[in-house]
Amino acid sequence: MPESDVEIHSAQSLVRWLTECVAMHLARPADTIDASVPLSDYGLDSVYALSVIAELEDHLDVSLDPAIMWDNPTIDALSKALAEELALNG
Amino acid sequence: MTATTPHASAATGTAARSPAPVPAGGSDPVPELVRRLDELAVAGGPFSAEALGALDAREGFPAEACRALDEFGLPRYYVPVEHGGALDDFSTVMRLLRAVSRVDLTVAAAHGKTYLGAVSTWIAGAPDRATWLGRRIAEGAVVSCALTERHHGSDLLAGEVTAREADGGAGWRVTGEKWLINNITRADLVTVLARTDPAGGPRGFSLFLVDKSRLTSEQLNPLPKVPTYGIRGADISGMEFHDVRVPSDALIGEAGRGVEIILKALHLTRTGCVAMSLGAGDHALSLAARFTTTATTDDGTSISELPHVRRELGAAMAGLLLAEATGLVAVRAVHALTAEMSVVSAVAKAYVPAQVDDLVARLLHSLGPYGLLDADGHGRFAKLERDHRIIGIFDGSSLVNRNALIDQFARLSRGYRTGRQDEEGLDEATDLGARLRPFDPRALSLLSGTGASVVAGLPAAVDRVHDLAVTEAASDRLATLAERLRRATDRLHEEMAAVRFPPRAVPGHAFELAERYELCFAAAAALHLWLRRRDGLDEAWLRGCLVTALTELGEPVGETEREDLDILADALLSARPGTVPSLLDSLEGTVR
Ligand SMILES: Cc1cc2nc3c(=O)[nH]c(=O)nc-3n(C[C@H](O)[C@H](O)[C@H](O)COP(=O)(O)OP(=O)(O)OC[C@H]3O[C@@H](n4cnc5c(N)ncnc54)[C@H](O)[C@@H]3O)c2cc1C
Repeated sequence: MPESDVEIHSAQSLVRWLTECVAMHLARPADTIDASVPLSDYGLDSVYALSVIAELEDHLDVSLDPAIMWDNPTIDALSKALAEELALNG
Repeated sequence: MTATTPHASAATGTAARSPAPVPAGGSDPVPELVRRLDELAVAGGPFSAEALGALDAREGFPAEACRALDEFGLPRYYVPVEHGGALDDFSTVMRLLRAVSRVDLTVAAAHGKTYLGAVSTWIAGAPDRATWLGRRIAEGAVVSCALTERHHGSDLLAGEVTAREADGGAGWRVTGEKWLINNITRADLVTVLARTDPAGGPRGFSLFLVDKSRLTSEQLNPLPKVPTYGIRGADISGMEFHDVRVPSDALIGEAGRGVEIILKALHLTRTGCVAMSLGAGDHALSLAARFTTTATTDDGTSISELPHVRRELGAAMAGLLLAEATGLVAVRAVHALTAEMSVVSAVAKAYVPAQVDDLVARLLHSLGPYGLLDADGHGRFAKLERDHRIIGIFDGSSLVNRNALIDQFARLSRGYRTGRQDEEGLDEATDLGARLRPFDPRALSLLSGTGASVVAGLPAAVDRVHDLAVTEAASDRLATLAERLRRATDRLHEEMAAVRFPPRAVPGHAFELAERYELCFAAAAALHLWLRRRDGLDEAWLRGCLVTALTELGEPVGETEREDLDILADALLSARPGTVPSLLDSLEGTVR
């Protein structure tokens, strides 16, 4: 799991964290991941993709519906949805 | 998802204690079903080995046996109480289907399939549709569930059967072929997974409850029965849908939610499949016990007195008890640890059928030609060996379920390290005398948030055994075995944490770790059950389970420890003929 010292609750910092996380899963450099491209294009389309949410939950110590990943298929969309969700809960 | 909410809130208080687990709905139907099956198994009856063997030989459907189960009222137990049925405790359905499976797996698969067909509607359907379906099932309707296609089995996202919204929003049009489906030709209703977004993806599929009686033969074309290795009499076939018009209310839940709903439904059905394996295991052991006590060696010694045969029987008995512990805890977890079912159901479906396949294979070895020849009258052992093979394949194979576990390794190892668990849920799931809270389908989750309480709770359970050993309420031998289990489980979780892989490239050794995880879960389940037992359940069965689990985990186990397996063999051999010892003995009052 990528470590991050930054305050993670903004959509922007979430984009950074998720990009690193996805890059690590795909074993490729973070700068080759486009946050506006559907994650399924990178092969992250199944229940496997949900494990990214599991890591995020553990990292932020929050509880999320894993299907949020399916409703927001890009890192950009997901970060925005997560930031809203976290603001509501926080 | 528009999940129905049959229970306003899940019980949150401490599990209510009751002396015996009498189902909330009233009297326990299991002993009654067992009695009925005994009556129907007499010569000439629909459950006689002779009748079932003859049907199997000519690949005939066991219609009379299924009808007898209808008359008994078994379908009511597939329908939740809130939809007009009698299902309020999943462990009751499991025990009922286990009783049927003990006699014949073809019948169990053919009859029990209706439960698999209906469950998506129970967890996600509109309340009026669920009530309607409940009524149809009570009237005898057969419900099938069609996910698989000719070229797509395990990979649900590859499905090609398509549903398009009909013009003007007046329903849907379904086109394509579902194939290798249990009961699809016989069924009155079929739950169908269909692509509703041409692009597919996890939000690209929907579930429909298709009422075949409303359709014409031009719209539906049943495909021929497929000859199979086991359950030969079952209706395993397919169906072509030719631009079939289904009404709007056929949609189960919201459009686009089909994959999510079915994955959650599989958490229940995969757990339910365990019933069939446990019944087959009971049957195998009772046949083996009968053979080994009646057959003799050349010098007249009963085969059951040969040390290596006893050891094999004991090991098989321990295997069945471990499988049973897993199954009992898993089915109670449906109520008590609902949010963890993504882990629990995967363990149950991967482990229990594989364990029973193994014990059947071992017994076949000790039975020698007897097991394969018609020496047992109607080739029952050979039939159950063939019949049982399918359990590890349908509804998600052992490999698919291991893959589901591997996907959750990171979460599971983190949870184990921090001891994260739902203590109350664990207590309720592993105390057979505790009243189960009502099942709340809204609590199902694609991924377990907590991890697996059964395994995370192992270290504390082992501490408890050490405490008991101090006051001699547990033997030192048990404490030693439990301690070794904890160490093996600790090491396993370190290895699981180290598994990293890109999508769709699961490394081979991860599957071996998943198998070890299943063993740790099974042994932990047995330990929890023993710690929360109500009566003087003998410690030896638990030691036998731990010895077996440690052996299969690759831990060295000494000869003295293995002697516990002989105690289990003695328990099996001294049981009433036709019966097998079970963790439920003391509860059911019968070991059938
Ligand atoms: C008797 C019978 C009854 C059936 N009843 C029904 C029914 O009622 N409804 C229904 O929808 N289907 C039913 N099926 C279909 C059954 O569910 C499929 O056969 C099963 O899902 C496997 O699919 P497949 O045969 O296409 O194999 P594939 O999915 O192609 O798999 C081939 C092999 O790869 C393994 N594998 C697949 N994915 C993975 C993975 N991710 N990781 C590791 N290994 C993997 C599998 O375990 C298998 O060994 C039935 C099948 C049989 C034989």
